[in-house]
Amino acid sequence: MTDNLNPELTTTTESTDESQLTRANTIVRAEDHARPLQLSNITIRYGGDRGGAEPVTVVEDFNLTLHAGEMHCIAGRSGSGKTSILTVGAGLTFPTSGRVLWEGDSLEQMGDDEIADRRRALIGYVDQGGALIDGMSALENVLLPAVPDGEVEQRTEMAKDLLDLVGLGRRMRHRPAQLSGGERQRVAIARALILGTRVLVVDEPTASLDRASANRIISILKDTTNDGIAVLVASHDHELVRLSDTLTELN
Amino acid sequence: MNAVQRFIRSRVLLLTAAILIVAMCLSVFIQTQSQAALNRTVDENSRGLYDILVQAKSANSKDSGQLIQPDIATGQGGISFQQLEKIRGLDGTSVAAPISLVSRVTQNLETPRLDAMDYLGYNAGLAGGATAGDPTGTDAKNWPAPESVLSDQPKKYRLTATAVSSDGVSDHTLFTTSAEGTLGKGKVVEQQTAGGKSIQITGPAGETGIKFPAPAGGSEHNLFNLSVALPMAPQVTESVVAVDPTAERALLGSAGDFLAPLQKAPPADARNAGAIGRYFEQLFAKSPTQQELEDGPDFLGVKLKYWAPLMTQYQQAKLAGQLTDSSQAIPLIVRQGTSLDLKYSVKIQEIDDSGKVIKDVGTVSRSLDKDYLPFVSRSPFALEWPGSTDHSQLLGNTGNFSQGLYQPAQWTTDFAAAPKYKDGDTSANGAVQKSATPGDWVTVNKLPEKSAFGAIVDQAQRTPVQERSYRDNLATGSKPATPLPMVYGTFDPAQIQKAAGDVNKLPLGGYDPAPMTLEKDGSGNSTAADVLKPSLSATGLVSQSAGAITDYYGLAAARGYTSNADVIDAVRVRASAPGNWKQAQPEVDKLAAEIRDMGLEATVVAGSAREDANIFVPGYSKDDAGKEAALGTVQQSWVRQDAADAVSGSLTSTNITLLFLTLCGATLLTGASTVSYIRQRRSEAGILRAMGWNQKKIRSWVLEEFGIGAAIIAVAGIALSLLSWNLATAIVSASVLLIYFAAAFFAAQQLRHRDVVDQEPQHDERLIAIDSPLTFAYRQLATNRFNSIALAIAVGVFGTAVGALIALLIDIPRAAGASALSGLAAASVALPSVILAIGGVLVGLVLTLVTGRFELHAKREQIGTLRAMGWNPDMLGQVRFFENALVGAVALVLAILGALGLGLLLAPYAALWAALAGLVAVLCWIPIATKVVK
Repeated sequence: MTDNLNPELTTTTESTDESQLTRANTIVRAEDHARPLQLSNITIRYGGDRGGAEPVTVVEDFNLTLHAGEMHCIAGRSGSGKTSILTVGAGLTFPTSGRVLWEGDSLEQMGDDEIADRRRALIGYVDQGGALIDGMSALENVLLPAVPDGEVEQRTEMAKDLLDLVGLGRRMRHRPAQLSGGERQRVAIARALILGTRVLVVDEPTASLDRASANRIISILKDTTNDGIAVLVASHDHELVRLSDTLTELN
Repeated sequence: MNAVQRFIRSRVLLLTAAILIVAMCLSVFIQTQSQAALNRTVDENSRGLYDILVQAKSANSKDSGQLIQPDIATGQGGISFQQLEKIRGLDGTSVAAPISLVSRVTQNLETPRLDAMDYLGYNAGLAGGATAGDPTGTDAKNWPAPESVLSDQPKKYRLTATAVSSDGVSDHTLFTTSAEGTLGKGKVVEQQTAGGKSIQITGPAGETGIKFPAPAGGSEHNLFNLSVALPMAPQVTESVVAVDPTAERALLGSAGDFLAPLQKAPPADARNAGAIGRYFEQLFAKSPTQQELEDGPDFLGVKLKYWAPLMTQYQQAKLAGQLTDSSQAIPLIVRQGTSLDLKYSVKIQEIDDSGKVIKDVGTVSRSLDKDYLPFVSRSPFALEWPGSTDHSQLLGNTGNFSQGLYQPAQWTTDFAAAPKYKDGDTSANGAVQKSATPGDWVTVNKLPEKSAFGAIVDQAQRTPVQERSYRDNLATGSKPATPLPMVYGTFDPAQIQKAAGDVNKLPLGGYDPAPMTLEKDGSGNSTAADVLKPSLSATGLVSQSAGAITDYYGLAAARGYTSNADVIDAVRVRASAPGNWKQAQPEVDKLAAEIRDMGLEATVVAGSAREDANIFVPGYSKDDAGKEAALGTVQQSWVRQDAADAVSGSLTSTNITLLFLTLCGATLLTGASTVSYIRQRRSEAGILRAMGWNQKKIRSWVLEEFGIGAAIIAVAGIALSLLSWNLATAIVSASVLLIYFAAAFFAAQQLRHRDVVDQEPQHDERLIAIDSPLTFAYRQLATNRFNSIALAIAVGVFGTAVGALIALLIDIPRAAGASALSGLAAASVALPSVILAIGGVLVGLVLTLVTGRFELHAKREQIGTLRAMGWNPDMLGQVRFFENALVGAVALVLAILGALGLGLLLAPYAALWAALAGLVAVLCWIPIATKVVK
């Protein structure tokens, strides 16, 4: 199923092989947008090589071009491959086949160090549940991405501003265990934005949150796109789906 | 889900039970193997050729466990033949072999000579008759052309003879004598005389010959060479021990077969030297055949190969009036070669009339070594002119009979055999310190008073040499009548030593002396470990290897007693009880007690072993000014009584300690896995509690799971105990089970209800800012203090255990003791001990990794988060490394202190090594753990 939520969007359908278990339908923006993230013919297959388990192809021949300032939502039922696409897009895992391009550069050509460096500059990843580090305050968690470049001190004010922005200016000294789920998620978003990220990859940001908290997260994400940041979000939250610029629904 | 299913599902419990069983089986198995190897080594080497050493009561009383001096033949006697027979009559006696020092024998070696090849070719008058009936001779037409190293015209030569002796540490020139004269090529002169033809060998016209002072003769030409008589070699003194050939053969086994001819020697009342000498004179009056002469004439069923020396000495003793009606012929077996170091050399120079050297012809030399046979040595110092060839074999074996000694040997009993030592300290490693007690100085390097032809010998030719005596005068009977050495054969001392065995090398007598090695010089500096040689006087620190062994019953006569007095120095008794030293011990002790009841000293030597004693030797030598100097410290193998018990006991303790340390590792592992289990199950317990389970029910639920593991461990332990039938195994199995039960109850107790309320304060901004992998790692460890400390303790314990194991391994040789047996025993348990130690280290390593596993899931998530935030692999690696390094830094202190403490407890002198091992273990753990977390 393909939903065109915005009349300005053009729809391109690729990979229509009905014999495959999974079919991916991708809706993309106009081609004149900058393309910080492109996924080309991505196939993700699990298992099958050890223990006698049958291989499971969760994503096949998936294509996506993410444009600057665009919020693209990947929707679908549990196990449909949403998180897999996000981790592949963020360069955290590699697809079984296909290409991932960051600003036109293929990850296949990069080494681990270069991927890490490029990820730091380009992509902010927000894991399901936030994935904050215990024992560190919200502020310290936000500053973690600045550690590799030795910019902790320079970015401290910015981190505080970001925490203010996500409504946690007064909770910056609290530890993850002292924050609610929604608060942790917001800290994670602030952390993802600390290095001037151009792509925000967010996994199920509103899952297990109350409506008010979820709306606040959605609002923050939407606001980021206004700054030209592309947002790739996996969710089955109707409100988030509704507010996304483009949508991919995985069957 | 029942308890068994839950147990299987709980990997931690399954892993713990499995590791405990494996550790239990492996450690018990290795310990059993190690113990078996130890017992086998000790058993095989701790029962020597005899079990009890019997000496007279007057000898030093011996306490259990003391060192026994190797020179047991002291010449002091004290045991009678009646007592010997009584010992032999005891039920428990298998062999009772007596031994005594007979005498010190001084003998002048045959006059040395220098042979210059001067072969004159075949001459029927000189050689024809000799070769005619001898199939080993060369046919006349096959004799080569004449050949000589001398010139037709006499040339003037200077011969310089030198004798040098060495005690193995320093050389001593005994004399240097020169003689000059002309020598030339000889010739055969045939003259027609009234009775026929006279054939003579003479030198060339103008030849003066060369003559050294008496007792040396001059030079003379013969068919094959020009022979120059050289200055007499120094006197050699040797000790002679008496044994009973039958008993000695029973003691030595096949190695004692050389004594067989002595068993056919005439009895004590049929050994009158004069009668035997006359018998041989009569024998030779009947013109024996060449073959009879070569084989030796038959004497009471024994071919007496060395008849020529016997006859020479008989004739000389008779001539000198030394032979009396009481003189006995002493049947002897003589040793092959000597360890006495005596080198004889002759420098040959061609000179002009003014004495100026024209040409250095060369120097020839010969040493008194393997070619020397006491009493019967044929030509110990026959030297050959450079370039000479011996053509005398052209005659075959004719005349090839040993002439033996130039003069009869002089027998004396004015010394006792064993040096005396004072006890010193015993060092920590068991090395024993002693010091030698020097006696008087003895003068050696003298010439006989008369030459062979009765001429007075000028004694000024030799400068007397002073040698230190370490032996006292021996009280004896009346002045002994000169015995006649009657040599029946030879023996190889190396075979005797081999038969005695290396480990339990109990003193077999004077023919089996224990060598002494110089370890430190007089200033205390280490030396190149020179073996000390016997002195010329045979009264030095090192006893001269026995010149001979005599039939035991000639002893009293040689000592000057008219009847068999109490002349037995010691009796070596082998008990009839079979088995190893431990099995035979009760019977041996009983036999020793029976011997003691006879008023004799009986020292049980079964279970003893060779051990080095360090002996300081003062006042050993004199310089020209008469100032005495110490030799230094020498080392000699003595025999440690009860060494086997000590070795067995201490190494068994080490084995048990190693086993204990391995079990400690298993205990810690169990503790670590139990903590891991508790953390896993705490949430599960909370759910059950929410479902209405009470604490008792939850405890039962936990204990049921542990019970499965306990049952498996119990079954394994019982099976192992039954298989090995060993108390240690049962104790280990029970201990492991106990540890497991303790862990179970601890776990059940820990799963009690707890209100988890986060009451932590807000984050403290004063904490170190996180701006690097190091600060990140530090914060993580500081946040999870419990786990960090648990891990640091586990790693510290691991380091401590490694240190303790190393200390024990280093300590094995010391714990075993200083004896040769301990070296063997330590070697036999080294491999199992090392395996056991490695097993212990591996258990410790697994323990640290299991403890580290507490945090593994959380760490994985952390690493994933950091990676998602763009931390590159290097930085992630640094985080892992710094976390382990920080834990290691804390553990390092614990490991060093722990290892040092345990090292001091187990093996103080190896404590520093233990600490170092602990340090290295922790340093090694850091990269291993970093790699494993990756």
